[in-house]
Amino acid sequence: MEGKKPHNISGLFDEAKKLKDGFLSFQIIHVLRNFHDKLSTIIDDFPRLNDIHPFYGDLLHVLYNKDHYKLALGQINTARNLIGKIAKDYVRLLKYVDSLYRCKSLKVAALGRMCTVIKRVTLAYLEQIRQHMARLPSIDPNTRTLLICGYPNVGKSSFMNKITRADVDVQPYAFTTKSLFVGHTDYKYLRYQVIDTPGILDRPFEDRNIIEMCSITALAHLRAAVLFFLDISGSCGYSIAQQAALFDSIKSLFMNKPLIIEMKLEAMKTLVGHGGEATDVSNVLLTMSTLTEEGVIAVKNAACERLLDQRVEQKMKSKKLNDCLNRFHVAMPKPRDQKERPAFIPQSVLEARAREAEDDAGKESRKLERDLENENGGAGVYSASLKKRYILAHDEWKEDILPEFLDGHNVADFLDPDILMRLEELEREEGVLQGLEEDDDFEMDGAELTPEEQAALTEIRKKKSLLIQQHRIKKSTAESRPTVPRKFDKDKRFTSERMGRQLSSLGLDPSMAVDRARSKSRVVPGEGFKDSAQKKKAIKIAKSSSKNRNKEARRGEADRVIPTLKPKHLFSGKRSTGKTDRR
Amino acid sequence: MRLEKCWFCSSTVYPGHGIQYVRNDAKIFRFCRSKCHKNFKMKRNPRKVKWTKAYRRLHRKDMTQDSTFEFERKRNRPERYDRNVTENTLKAIKKIDKVRVDREARHIAKRLKPKKAQLQREAARELEQSISMVKAPGALLRDPSLTLPIKVKVSKPETVENRMEE
Repeated sequence: MEGKKPHNISGLFDEAKKLKDGFLSFQIIHVLRNFHDKLSTIIDDFPRLNDIHPFYGDLLHVLYNKDHYKLALGQINTARNLIGKIAKDYVRLLKYVDSLYRCKSLKVAALGRMCTVIKRVTLAYLEQIRQHMARLPSIDPNTRTLLICGYPNVGKSSFMNKITRADVDVQPYAFTTKSLFVGHTDYKYLRYQVIDTPGILDRPFEDRNIIEMCSITALAHLRAAVLFFLDISGSCGYSIAQQAALFDSIKSLFMNKPLIIEMKLEAMKTLVGHGGEATDVSNVLLTMSTLTEEGVIAVKNAACERLLDQRVEQKMKSKKLNDCLNRFHVAMPKPRDQKERPAFIPQSVLEARAREAEDDAGKESRKLERDLENENGGAGVYSASLKKRYILAHDEWKEDILPEFLDGHNVADFLDPDILMRLEELEREEGVLQGLEEDDDFEMDGAELTPEEQAALTEIRKKKSLLIQQHRIKKSTAESRPTVPRKFDKDKRFTSERMGRQLSSLGLDPSMAVDRARSKSRVVPGEGFKDSAQKKKAIKIAKSSSKNRNKEARRGEADRVIPTLKPKHLFSGKRSTGKTDRR
Repeated sequence: MRLEKCWFCSSTVYPGHGIQYVRNDAKIFRFCRSKCHKNFKMKRNPRKVKWTKAYRRLHRKDMTQDSTFEFERKRNRPERYDRNVTENTLKAIKKIDKVRVDREARHIAKRLKPKKAQLQREAARELEQSISMVKAPGALLRDPSLTLPIKVKVSKPETVENRMEE
């Protein structure tokens, strides 16, 4: 059916085009196409357990159960075929239908049946598998691998954390690691995969759970160096006997693999005999501790070395190597003369090596600035003396405080070893100049004004400026200032006292002028007054008569008055031409 | 730490003052205060702005070239510290400053000197011409010096009745 499908669909498509109701069948075909594509993608992209590496095949079987997996995929395949069949049938039926309504109902039926088929398919299981598979660690089954196994809680994950950059969870309870973890480490410029497995308990094969089966699978299929971990102290919760029993039961999986047995936390040689019953020559026993980090690197190096040796050996034995061998040629140059040509090592390196050798003996290091700082109170308290290593002519100059500025100048700009000499020259010059200056100053002093004359000049200038000011005020207010005769002089600018004062400041005797000015209160004969006293009284009475009236703001003789507010002649009669105020 | 010169007015910029502007061609403009900075932003030429040192030097109002200016020179190489040299330098700076200030004052006095004579002549003339504003001609006759007159007290007035009777 699969091989025929594409041809069939396009054939249907061509047919559909010819029909008068081509659009409806086109719809069915379109839906069919979509379903087909999507389901095909699912089926094709899920891995076939037979086509992948047996390690992964087994791992997937352990995790998801091969049969369920295959069933699910088969179900999808069936669904795909069913949908194809439905579509084909209904498109054919469409040809023999006469009315449009019938066509439409056929289309609806076809789509409905296809959807029912899809509804029956369960995709949730496959979705979960897909998500889990995406998170499986990427283990290359063919490269150099170190496999870490042992009882739960013996320290496999801590060891893994120490030698690789993997950050595996390390907790005090057993079965912290529940699946395989991969890390990478380097040895002799080669990359090694390190696989951390969950712990295995000593049980018959059939009773094992999924987690343990993961590690068993890894052990079985991966061609790697096996590091079997033993915890002597018993802090993992299992005795040495149990661990030894486990070792025996999975011994068969260690065929053809370099094996290293790790003793955690320093074992004694006497226990060794107890631990390994049938220890063959290929075993290597090592001690290490992840807490104190001694021996970890040694273990790793040993494991990597042994694995490398084994792999190289195998490659040498394989047939492919013979084809390559004739391409290798190691050249050994023959010595051409008797001259000695030893390796060249620079003198400083030799000295450093010698120093290191004697340092190792005494382990003395020089006192660092950091140590000095810590002694004297720590980072915030002690401030390092940056001037300690200055190279100066005299050592007591080291602690000198040098000013950077002086009087608005940078001192650094003036620094000069022979500044004193230049200064002397300058002062000599200055002396000469000053001498010349004094000669010039003498000619000037003739035309100076005396202080009294200076005072007179200031007075003159003051008066002038006053006049100018007044003139300016008068000019600016000329339009708004009324011209008032002098006798209505409110500012009292024209009193006789003032005149007297001004005259006296000018240096004249004002008494005669003042007397003359006072004569305005004199009686002119013909006015009708007896004497000036009477005249004064008369003036006073005249003023006081109007005083009260002015105070009461009453109407006076000069105030304009309208005798009748509403004269009859203006408010009666017919309107004719003319303004209302005079009619 | 360095004392810099303001690009606009040439006054010293102390640390912690002013604004530094770096243009895209990496030329640095330092300003002592926002007045200079704002003037710069307005693209004013300091040689045309009256109160700046650049203007004053250009128009020969202040001393332009002198041997005292040669003592202060920006060196790009740091010198090794020498106590004696530094001591001498510090003392010398003060003396050089004094000399420089004296010379500048002399320069300005020389600049203003011709004006002074003219002013004196004008003052004398003004005094002679306008002395009558403060000294009446009568007083001047009595006392021909060009000084303020002695003030005369106003005498007591005669009684008015006496006058009328006359």
